[in-house]
Amino acid sequence: MSLLKKLVKPFLVVAPYVARSSQTVKYPDERLVFSERFRGRHHLDLDKCIHCGLCARICPCASIVLVPVEGREGKYPQIDYGTCSLCGLCVDACPRGALTMTDFVEFAAYKRSELVYSPERLAEVPDIKEVLPMLKRRIRPVLTDKEMKYEVVEEL
Amino acid sequence: MDVVTLIWLYILGLVRWLLHEAPLQVINFIRSLPTLIPELLKWLWDFIWFNFKPLAQIIVIPGLAFILLFAMIAVWFERKFLARAMLRIGPYYCGKRSGWLQVIADFLKLFFKEFVIPDDVEKALFLAAPVLLPTIPALAITLIPFDSNWVLFDAGGLSLPVFLAIAGLAPVIPIFAGWAANNKYTIIGSFRTAYLYVSGEIPLVICAAASALLAGSLDLVDIVEAQKPIWFAIPQFIGFLVFFVGLILEAERTPFDVPTAETELVMGWRTEFSGVLFGFTMMAEYVSFLGWTLLFIVLYLGGYLGPSLFGVPLYDHIFWMLLKLAVIVVIVVLIRTVYPRLRLDQTLRLGWNYLMPLALLNLFITIILKWGLMI
Amino acid sequence: MTEPEVKPEVMRISWGPQHPMSGQTRILIDVDGEVVRRIIADIGFTHRGIEKILEKRTFIQGIVPIERMVMADTANIALGYVQAVEEALGIEVPERAKWIRSLICEMGRINSHLYAFGLQVECTGYFPAVFLWTTVDREVLLDLFEKLTGARWSYSFFIPGGVRADLPEGFRDEVKRAVKYLRRRFQDYWDAMVENPLFEMRNRGVGILSREDAIRLGATGPVLRGSGVDMDVRRDEPYAAYGDLDFKVITEKEGDCFARLKVRFHEIEQSLNIMEQIADEIPGGPVRTKVPLFPRSKPGVEALSRVETARGELGVHIFTDGGLKPYRVKINSPTLRNMYVFERLAELDKVLVADLPVILYSIDPWYLDCDR
Repeated sequence: MSLLKKLVKPFLVVAPYVARSSQTVKYPDERLVFSERFRGRHHLDLDKCIHCGLCARICPCASIVLVPVEGREGKYPQIDYGTCSLCGLCVDACPRGALTMTDFVEFAAYKRSELVYSPERLAEVPDIKEVLPMLKRRIRPVLTDKEMKYEVVEEL
Repeated sequence: MDVVTLIWLYILGLVRWLLHEAPLQVINFIRSLPTLIPELLKWLWDFIWFNFKPLAQIIVIPGLAFILLFAMIAVWFERKFLARAMLRIGPYYCGKRSGWLQVIADFLKLFFKEFVIPDDVEKALFLAAPVLLPTIPALAITLIPFDSNWVLFDAGGLSLPVFLAIAGLAPVIPIFAGWAANNKYTIIGSFRTAYLYVSGEIPLVICAAASALLAGSLDLVDIVEAQKPIWFAIPQFIGFLVFFVGLILEAERTPFDVPTAETELVMGWRTEFSGVLFGFTMMAEYVSFLGWTLLFIVLYLGGYLGPSLFGVPLYDHIFWMLLKLAVIVVIVVLIRTVYPRLRLDQTLRLGWNYLMPLALLNLFITIILKWGLMI
Repeated sequence: MTEPEVKPEVMRISWGPQHPMSGQTRILIDVDGEVVRRIIADIGFTHRGIEKILEKRTFIQGIVPIERMVMADTANIALGYVQAVEEALGIEVPERAKWIRSLICEMGRINSHLYAFGLQVECTGYFPAVFLWTTVDREVLLDLFEKLTGARWSYSFFIPGGVRADLPEGFRDEVKRAVKYLRRRFQDYWDAMVENPLFEMRNRGVGILSREDAIRLGATGPVLRGSGVDMDVRRDEPYAAYGDLDFKVITEKEGDCFARLKVRFHEIEQSLNIMEQIADEIPGGPVRTKVPLFPRSKPGVEALSRVETARGELGVHIFTDGGLKPYRVKINSPTLRNMYVFERLAELDKVLVADLPVILYSIDPWYLDCDR
C-alpha cells in the first residue's frame, strides 16, 4: 500500500502547479523594477569629476580611458561596455562621487564601436520608453508563503 | 501491293482526314461543350454522393485530417501543459497569446529546411523509413470503429488480429532506420527499440485476447457492442492496468522512452534525420500513440458507447470516443510530467517480470468468469 | 591529448561536447554491449588561464576575475581568494563583515545545490517539473543578492578588509521570509521527487563509492560525505563566522547516487538554519577596514586559505614578491579531484551506459573550476 501511495503522491503535488501563475517575465511587454543598488549603466556627472583617473587605474578590465571633451577643460572617463564587467569598483574609487550606476541594461548595438560610450553619452541617461517602445508595465516580484508573484508597479 | 505503296496510301488517307473530316469533328465538339461540362460535374457530384461515406472516412475521420489534427493538437497540448506544470507559459507569440499556430509554424519550418543525407548511409532505407513510420499505425487506425456503422476497413470479422498484426510490423522500421544511418548512436538506439517492443507486445496481445474472449468475438465492433451492460474495465481490472502501462511502453513515451533518450544518446535512432524526415518521425510517435490509445478505448472503455446514467444508456455517438481520447491524452501527459525515465533493464524487467504474469492472471480470471457466466 | 588504443572487443563512443547532456567536456567511454569498461575524461575545454590573469591584476582588482571561475557558487571562491590576500597582507576583518560573509556564502551554497539538484533530476529523463522549480526558487535567492549587492551572480562583494557595503534596511526580515518560503518548497521537493519510487530506482545502488576508495582516491565535498567520511572545512578549520554558528555536518553511509543527493538536500536545510541564525544574531559594527586601493605586499610571503565550496574543498595559495600584484596564485579546485574519482568508478563498480549521466551529475562537476 505504501508503494501505491508513493506512486500517486507526485501527481497530487505536481498537478496544482498547473493552476498557478507563471513565473515568466514577458519582456519586452513587461520589465522588472530593480533595487536601488543595482549595478547597470553608469551615469557621469561632468561637473563633479576632477580628472583624477582613479577609476581608470582601478578598473580590472581596462575599460576606462580618459578622453578630452569639447567645451570643457581636462579629460573625462570614456567607458567601453564591450569589456566592462559592471563590477562597480570605479564607483567605489571615485573620490567625488561623480560616477554612479543606474538600472539601465539595454546596451544592444549593431557595431562594437557603438559600445564605447563617450563622456557626453554617459552624462545623459535616456528614458526607458525611448529604448523599449513596446513596454507596457513595470513589475516587481512579491513573495508570499506559497509562491512568488509579480505585481504591477506602474502602467505605461 | 508492296509496302511502299501501302505507306503512300496511308499517308494520303491521313491527309484527306486532316483536311476534310477533322475540322467537322472539332466543330461538333465545340458545339457540345456547353452541355459537356455540366454533365461532367453532375457525374462527379453523383460519384461523391454515392461514395460519400468511404471518402469522408478516408479524408476526415478516421483518416488523414483526424490523424494530422490529432498530432498537432497533442503536440500543442503537451507543450502548454508541461509548461504550466513548470511554471512557464509555453508557446505564446505565435497565434494570439495561446500559441496554437506554433505547431503549424514548426511543421512548415521543418518542411523548408534542408535535409542532410550523409554519404555512407543506405539511401533507400534512409529515405523510406520516415515515410513508413506514420503510415503503418495509420493503416492500423483504419480498423477501429468510431460508431456502429463507421468502420473504414471491413476485415471480415477479424479486425482485432489484423490490428495486432499490423502493430507487430511497427518495430521493424526503427531497427532498419537506425541501421541504415550508419552511426554508433543510432545502432544502439535501434537495438533498444527492438528489446522494448518485444517485451511490450506480448502482455498487450494476451490482454487483448482476454478482452476478445469475454466479448465472444474477434471483431472490434462486436467487442464494443458486448460492453453495453458494463465496460470491460471493471471485470478485467488487472488487464486494464496492464494494458495502460503497456500502451505507454509501446508508444515509447516517458517513463519508458529509452530508445530516444536524449540525455544519453542524442536522439537514439532518430539522430541522423533532419528536416522533413525528422518531422515525420516526430509525427510517427504521436500516430502510434493514437493507434494504441484507440485500441485501448475500444477494448476496455467501451469505444463509442456513452455512459449509462442510472441504468439508462445514453445515445452512442462518435463524440464519446473523442472525449475518452482526450481524457487518456491528459492522463498520459500528466504521467510524463511527473515521472523520470527508467533504465532499459528496469523497463525490460517490468515488462517480463511484472506485466506478463499479470496479463496471464487476467486471462485466467476471464476464462473463469466466462465459464461461470455460461454455466 | 593522445588517446589510449581501442581494444577490439569494445566500442569507443565520444560522449562529447556535441551532446545535450555532457556539459563542456568530452568523456570517452569504452562500451561493451551496455557495460562501460573504461572512462577517460578529456577536460580542458574551458581553460581560460585564470591563474595567469590573477598574476596581472592587483590585489583589489583580482576579486573580479576570480568570481568568473565558478558561476554557480561565486561567493565561496571569492572568499577563498580574499582570505588568502588578507593573510598575505596582514589585514584584519571586523566581526560584522565576517558574519555577512558567512550569510552570503550560505546563500551561494543553497543556490549551487539547487542547481545541482535540478540537473541531477533532469538527467534522469527530463523530469521537467522539478528542474524548472529549482530555477524559480533560485530567483528568490537571486533577488536577495540583488538587493544586498547590486548584481545577481557576479557580485564582487568581498574585498580585502571586509565587504563593500552594509545590509540595507529591512534585509533581515526579507531573509527570514525567504527562508520560510524555501522551507515550504522543500517539502514539495521531498514528496514529488526524492520519495518518487521511479526516481529511487534510477539512483539507488548506482555508482557506489566505498569509504576506503573515497579516501584513497581523494574525493571531496558531498561525494566524500556521501560515502560516510565526516570531513568539512567549515567545522574542522573554522573561517569567517563559522566558529560561532551551530550546524551539523551531514553524512550518509551508502555511497551511491541517492546518498549524495540526500547529502545535498539536507545540507540545504542546514544552510537555511544558518541563514536564520545569522539574521537573528548578527553583531553591529563597521563592515570594512580602511585598506589602500593599491596595497603593496611584503616580499616572500606565502598564504593558504581553504574554504568549503558547494562542490568540495577549495584551496587558494598566494605567493608574493613585494610588488602590487601577486607573484603566483595557485587554485586547487574540487571538481578536478572529483573527476578523477569519476574516471576510476568504471573499474570499481559496474557502470551501464544509461547510468553514466546519473553518476556524472551526482558528482556535480562544474567544468569551469575544473579547467580554470
